[in-house]
Amino acid sequence: MNHQDPQQDELRGLFRAYREACPDPEPEPNFMPRLWQRIDAQQSLARDLKWLTEGLVTAAAALSLLMGIFLVRRESPVSFYTSTYVEVLADQEHEGESVAEIIPVALDRF
Amino acid sequence: MLADFELVKRAREGDHSAFTELVQAYRKRILGTIARLIGHPEDVEDVGQEVFLRLYFSLDQLRTPEVFEPWLYRLTVNAAYDYLRRQRRRGEARMADLSEQQVVWADAIAGGRIQQEEQRRKNLREFVQLLLAAVSEQDRILLILKEIEGLSLKELEKIYRVNENALKVRLFRARQRVLRAFAAVQSKSARAGGS
Repeated sequence: MNHQDPQQDELRGLFRAYREACPDPEPEPNFMPRLWQRIDAQQSLARDLKWLTEGLVTAAAALSLLMGIFLVRRESPVSFYTSTYVEVLADQEHEGESVAEIIPVALDRF
Repeated sequence: MLADFELVKRAREGDHSAFTELVQAYRKRILGTIARLIGHPEDVEDVGQEVFLRLYFSLDQLRTPEVFEPWLYRLTVNAAYDYLRRQRRRGEARMADLSEQQVVWADAIAGGRIQQEEQRRKNLREFVQLLLAAVSEQDRILLILKEIEGLSLKELEKIYRVNENALKVRLFRARQRVLRAFAAVQSKSARAGGS
């Protein structure tokens, strides 16, 4: 601290005078009601946002569920996969034999 | 401490009447600090409301009631700083240059030519605000808290969460800048008086 510096002391004195020239102002009578109003407004905004967020999350979950059900139902009746590859081959082979049996008989007749 | 720890504890637990009591205990002091920090009397109430609004929504984060006052001061400093930043963004004219009119004020304060007390106070306020405009908003707030609000370095340490030495350095630099501005006004004033 440089107490010898007259400018420092003058500045300190000026700050003291400033403190006295700016006394603590009296709050307005509606300070508290206005504050509670602002608190309530902010709380209701937060509540609304929470409600909106919850609504959106629920809607998204419901939509996902519906899409899941739709996709499952769309895939299940497909007929290509009702039998295995081996079963399809066996069926075709069986059909082929019957054709082979029929054809020579038909040629002999001509 | 203007309020007891029990009151702070009750307010923190959501007791509305305790919170009201707490605000009533501190609002005058906080409004005074804000008035000296921002220098715009017409906006003091709004910034004060902002401080207590932030207090209400952050009270549950307060670890212990013992640190309530530094916590409240930190909120005050932040709200004042936000206000000053908004003002700056709006492009409000800052008192950066020392105009002839301000030199006349300084001269008037020194010579005691203006007799009316209220006018003298107004001039003094504007003159000190002009000097404080020589430093950044952060340093101005720090300087006001130390030199005008009379907070100790220990209290400032708790508010800023910065060690004492760093604060001392910042304060020294800010004080030097204000002193330079003060010297400039005085020399201009002397020149104006001499001519």
